Amino acid sequence: MAAAAAGSGTPREEEGPAGEAAVSQPQAPTSVPGARLSRLPLARVKALVKADPDVTLAGQEAIFILARAAELFVETIAKDAYCCAQQGKRKTLQRRDLDNAIEAVDEFAFLEGTLD
Amino acid sequence: MAERPEDLNLPNAVITRIIKEALPDGVNISKEARSAISRAASVFVLYATSCANNFAMKGKRKTLNASDVLSAMEEMEFQRFVTPLKEALEAYRREQKGKKEASEQKKKDKDKKTDSEEQDKSRDEDNDEDEERLEEEQNEEEEVDN
Repeated sequence: MAAAAAGSGTPREEEGPAGEAAVSQPQAPTSVPGARLSRLPLARVKALVKADPDVTLAGQEAIFILARAAELFVETIAKDAYCCAQQGKRKTLQRRDLDNAIEAVDEFAFLEGTLD
Repeated sequence: MAERPEDLNLPNAVITRIIKEALPDGVNISKEARSAISRAASVFVLYATSCANNFAMKGKRKTLNASDVLSAMEEMEFQRFVTPLKEALEAYRREQKGKKEASEQKKKDKDKKTDSEEQDKSRDEDNDEDEERLEEEQNEEEEVDN
């Protein structure tokens, strides 16, 4: 299934820096790697990795996976925070929804105290 | 302006887009929430890096590799990320391989051109313009060569 999109290689989505090109998919296919393997700029991720004094070197693949993992993380935390907003019958995600999600979800424990 | 690691934020536009695509249509996000998520993502990368580095050091390596990061995900209790990350890695490797082969092909093409078409100067102009359309150039060549 994924092979079909991976082979095309035509970067039609990367048309310009604005990114809001005419060709926009109705629903972002999360399982298709395709032309858009990672949206986060690898250079910035690399800068974060290098900020760690204990890290000597990081391979390109490692940087790529970290970028992709960060994307998945953003999706995950946004969805979890949205559950809280939904309960409050709101359509706008607020900061407190995020705080609630961090408190409620064990995996987000590492974020406690870091966002202030 | 001292640059703390947490200040290295990822681009707001990209973060916003990822959030919007993860949520149903019509849902908005406040600026504070968005910037908090952005900072959380940075913290996530820093934490994951630190975990991954531990695995690298255990393996007596100085370079972080992909499997270190995957091990870090499990350690951080984000096992659900491991499968999609492995798939992404496969696709990334294929793409890298494709790019390498494409640039090697380009090299071969250029050599071929200088050999067989010294007379045809216009071909060189085409070559400069359309670097990406390798296949078309090859076809044109075949037509000329008979």
